[in-house]
Amino acid sequence: MANLNLYSAGDKRFVIVNMILIAIFTVSTMYPFIYIGSLSFSSGFAARAGQVILTPIETTFEAYKYILSQRMFWVSYGNTFIYTIFGTLCSLLFLIPGAYALSRPQLFGRRFFNLMVAFTMWFNAGLIPFFLNMRDLGLLDSYIGIIIGFAVNGFNLILLRNFFEGVPSSFEEAARMDGANDFQVLWKVYVPLAKPAIATVALFCLVSRWNGFFWAMVLLRDEDKIPLQVYLRHTIATLSNDDEFSATLIDAPYSVETVSAAIIVCSIIPVIIIYPFIQKYFEKGILMGGVKE
Amino acid sequence: MSGVKLESIVKAYGALQVVHGIDLEVEEKEFVVLVGPSGCGKSTTLRMVAGLEEISGGELTIDGRVMNRVAPKDRDVAMVFQNYALYPHLDVANNIAFGLKIRKNSKEEIAASVDEVAGILGLTDYLERKPSDLSGGQRQRVAMGRAIVRRPKVFLFDEPLSNLDAKLRTQMRAEIKRLHKRLGVTSIYVTHDQVEAMTLADRIVVMNDGRIEQIGTPMELFLNPVNAFVAGFLGAPPMNMIEATIGEGDTSPVANFAGGQLALSKLSELQNSVGRKVTVGIRPEYAQIVTEATLGSVACDLDLVETLGSEALLHTTVGDEPFVIRTETLDKMDTLESVTGFTAQPDLIKVFDAKTGLALSGQTREA
Repeated sequence: MANLNLYSAGDKRFVIVNMILIAIFTVSTMYPFIYIGSLSFSSGFAARAGQVILTPIETTFEAYKYILSQRMFWVSYGNTFIYTIFGTLCSLLFLIPGAYALSRPQLFGRRFFNLMVAFTMWFNAGLIPFFLNMRDLGLLDSYIGIIIGFAVNGFNLILLRNFFEGVPSSFEEAARMDGANDFQVLWKVYVPLAKPAIATVALFCLVSRWNGFFWAMVLLRDEDKIPLQVYLRHTIATLSNDDEFSATLIDAPYSVETVSAAIIVCSIIPVIIIYPFIQKYFEKGILMGGVKE
Repeated sequence: MSGVKLESIVKAYGALQVVHGIDLEVEEKEFVVLVGPSGCGKSTTLRMVAGLEEISGGELTIDGRVMNRVAPKDRDVAMVFQNYALYPHLDVANNIAFGLKIRKNSKEEIAASVDEVAGILGLTDYLERKPSDLSGGQRQRVAMGRAIVRRPKVFLFDEPLSNLDAKLRTQMRAEIKRLHKRLGVTSIYVTHDQVEAMTLADRIVVMNDGRIEQIGTPMELFLNPVNAFVAGFLGAPPMNMIEATIGEGDTSPVANFAGGQLALSKLSELQNSVGRKVTVGIRPEYAQIVTEATLGSVACDLDLVETLGSEALLHTTVGDEPFVIRTETLDKMDTLESVTGFTAQPDLIKVFDAKTGLALSGQTREA
């Protein structure tokens, strides 16, 4: 049987060019991961000498041994978990009812509120006013400040709102005829229907909380409250000037570079573990939130 | 008495009024069908009864209680939606039980009710399936199950069969009729399909442009439409309408029109209306085909024959106007292509005033 040739030469060229572009993109995305991983398992001497390119040189676990022995590493790691878990829960607690309310045509002043939410995506008060605001609210240097201060994000709110708007109104009407009140309509009908969108928003919150660095650095003074990302910066910035640490480097098999790389590896492991579980929702959610059915 | 009464019901969106003072009384256990073209206000009226639309004016009573400001959940009505509105995350059993759970009925009571309803609707084998695993007809049954499980005083149906294919629609129509006989619950059913209206209704309410045109039993409306709109809306294919002038015949009044002349009934209203411009309505099934011109026949040009099996539709033109004839095919197939005209029994011809569209009086016929 003759092979069917469904693709023209132009189609084939298009596919080949695409494959090459995707390959380049994949390599350029993967390389930093590979490099950081290899660096963290290399000796301090090889790292300083710039010998690490793709695979670990003079493989060693000493950088990990060093950071795992640091109290501040565990404290900041724990803090990151606190900020991420409670921050995400807090975000969902505000975002879900907020988005649902904004999606309801009967909401008084709906257009105004929606405009105000969108406004925050284009403009914000800026660093100093926000800092002063947090200070005046007594939220500086506190867990609550970081958790509540960044709970609601305009983009996430609009993403969820769009999803709720796309749900046919007959679901709500059917639930109301069945005797459901507003809260029951939201909880028993809309939330289960919006699982993909909620998972997407939850992932956005998780990742931004986990990687949250700047505001934590600005708002937190107490070392025992800083998250891992701030600790990482602290390590890079201070260890190189720390005489005590430099003294240990003379005969230590690790360096500032390998220690930093090891912290980075530790910080991305939880995200890598979680992502496959919510990836399916993530992909669906992006589509659902953006496109009204 | 769980009847529904609408008194001067008005619906307006700002300055735009879409339902203009409707009066309707649905008796207990009655099956009333609201029918009309798209945008005539029938769904809006139903949604006002359900409580899903605010009533702008007038009074709605269900079971003798004024319901204008009562929340949908407290009206004791259940509704079947056009798109079923089944909760996709719940299985059939939980979809049916949803309302009972919200009302905090006991677990045993819920299980018994769900089993009973599933039995009635033939859903017992599907209780654990999700809506996405069901066919259109099964989904429709679940939607009905969700409505009947609460044993409401009134059922509301909003074009429930319009998403089904023709065969399933016929099947489900019969099931709805059977279900109504069995449960005897007052029902209001909205459709734009006149066949559904004719087959299901105890009484039909024909609506047009936010107003009720006529209320009556299917046969009353079919035989004695009050105006040309109702006459044209009920019946498939619709009634043929010919613009004519009433003239004086030898023995009875006649309708003169571009393509010919037809004898009309000897009604005094017609006899006294010589020279009046009218619209003559002839149902396709009441026109008798002829292959040769005879006394009293009207000539027509055959355009197309549509064979439906036991019947055929003959698309013809009378003068320049289209005219459809419905005829039996048995032993007639050979003659269909040679049709040259038709006759019509005078008492089966409806005459409407050309200006107002109202039927001229005295034409009432017993079903």
